Amino acid sequence: MILFKIFISAFLIDNIVLMRFLALCSFIGMTTDEGQSVGMGLAVTFVTVLATTVTWPLYYFILKPMGLEFLQILVFILVIAALVQLVEFYLKKSAPALYSSMGIYLALITTNCAILAVTFDNVSKGYNFIESIVYSVGVALGYLLAMLLLAGIRKRIATSPIPSFLKGTPILFVASALLSVAFMGFAGLVK
Amino acid sequence: MKRYIKIFTNGLVLENPLLMLMIGLCSALAVTTAVANGLGMGLAMTFVLLMSEVVISAFRKLIPDSIRIPVFIIIIAAFTTVIDYVLKAYFPDLSKAMGVFIPLIVVNCIIMGRVEGFSYKRPVMDVIPDAIGMGIGYTWVLVGISALRELLGNGTIFNIQIMPQSYKPILFFVLSPGGFFVFALFISLNIFLKSRLKNVEEERK
Amino acid sequence: MKNMLKLGIILAIYASVACVGLAFVYAGTKKVIAERQKTDLEAALNDLFPQGKGFDEVTGSLKSTEPSVTFNNVYEVKDGNGPLGVAIRAVGASYGGPVTVLVGVGANGKIAGVKVLESKDTPGLGANAANPTYFVDRTKRLTFTDQFKGKAVTDPFEVKGDVIAITASTITSKAITGIVKVCGQTGSQWLATQTGGTK
Repeated sequence: MILFKIFISAFLIDNIVLMRFLALCSFIGMTTDEGQSVGMGLAVTFVTVLATTVTWPLYYFILKPMGLEFLQILVFILVIAALVQLVEFYLKKSAPALYSSMGIYLALITTNCAILAVTFDNVSKGYNFIESIVYSVGVALGYLLAMLLLAGIRKRIATSPIPSFLKGTPILFVASALLSVAFMGFAGLVK
Repeated sequence: MKRYIKIFTNGLVLENPLLMLMIGLCSALAVTTAVANGLGMGLAMTFVLLMSEVVISAFRKLIPDSIRIPVFIIIIAAFTTVIDYVLKAYFPDLSKAMGVFIPLIVVNCIIMGRVEGFSYKRPVMDVIPDAIGMGIGYTWVLVGISALRELLGNGTIFNIQIMPQSYKPILFFVLSPGGFFVFALFISLNIFLKSRLKNVEEERK
Repeated sequence: MKNMLKLGIILAIYASVACVGLAFVYAGTKKVIAERQKTDLEAALNDLFPQGKGFDEVTGSLKSTEPSVTFNNVYEVKDGNGPLGVAIRAVGASYGGPVTVLVGVGANGKIAGVKVLESKDTPGLGANAANPTYFVDRTKRLTFTDQFKGKAVTDPFEVKGDVIAITASTITSKAITGIVKVCGQTGSQWLATQTGGTK
């Protein structure tokens, strides 16, 4: 039951993009197309869960017992960078079409604040291993959801009359503001 | 000297990292609920940016191209950790208010972008004005957004009551949607400023 | 292969320099952080028990009976004649994350006071639990935590019943109230065993 609570909080109530403002760069940059958003969302989900499985044990079995907590930032980001490299390598070999369509954005997953934030949250919220995995899946799917929603909205915006001072990026942020308000409605969902 | 000034002012408006280049957004919206936080974040980020740019520029001949990204990450992460602990020790309230966003400075695209695109190829004297310019460009936007959000959403600036007592704070502004909304306004303001600047330059020619 | 080894070594050198540098910074700031925490704790305990003349940390014998609330530290406050009360640093889940509260339980069966130490709740909403200028009772100018002072540990501790909630922050109000309730009950039970034993 508590796992379900963690999932729903991460997915909807405390949505990583719309409520916590993370992963915005890719949110604005990779939502021009629904297919692109889904691809990015799935890639991020994969890396996030992988990152959790590596960083959680690293922290609790190596960093903490050795009193090296101050290396957390350094170690976690290097792990994520290494994982992204591995994913890139693997994709290049086994799914070259997907690899080329993602282009530079694949490497940019390393700087996706959401992934690093999740690894930090696992520790600061004191989750055990299973809870951390559930949390990271929830967050990543929440990211995918937000991306998908904005991609859909962008299609509509393209064919709507927008006041000139809001054209371009400003209207995207206004749309995000409205999405955020909608997501605030989930607040009372779990006690 | 003129060159340094040009590099410095670049980051303030024309290539303002947040409003024009659209990078480093995450921390910008999340911590701007109060001016103290916005200012603190801006200065912290500027510190990491400056130190990273200087070190990487100074050592650029000693960083092999093929492993440059991991080396950048190590250096940026190190300075981020430094500012994290310094804040924890000397400004604990600020540190708690900004929470996970201080460690997140390490993935702030501004730093990574600047380091890769600028300081890896330029001498130290060039990167110092760049870092300070970009840093201030980032900070002024953060302070501006926080001022608006704190003023309208809490009636205060720096926790000093500015609005009259009868003003009922509009909570919207300090909550997530408000962040997005205020940011939209700032972007459009900057687009407007930029087009004005371009007009002025063209008239001069 | 040789090139990769060379690159690997260079990377390792950078990493080691960074780690050593960080170790220095950590060692340097650790002391300041610990000092600050000590002063903060003393100030907080003084606030809850002004007549207290010293405190000892108690380990092991006082634990939370509620699975969702953890007791991180327990301090027994004395005044020369015996235990004055106990201050429990407890953590429980709130709206935006865990909330850390210091609850003072007097040996007289009443809550000495409540202080919110750490909170991740929304400013303007749940974060008002720690706001000294936010009053849940405007006529008496009582903040959310003020209302627990002098409360009997045997009270029901029901939000919107005997506890006034923070407007639009029921989850935070319930979370903190729940923590205070558990601290009150277990704390006073423990104190009863202490006074029974030493006297």
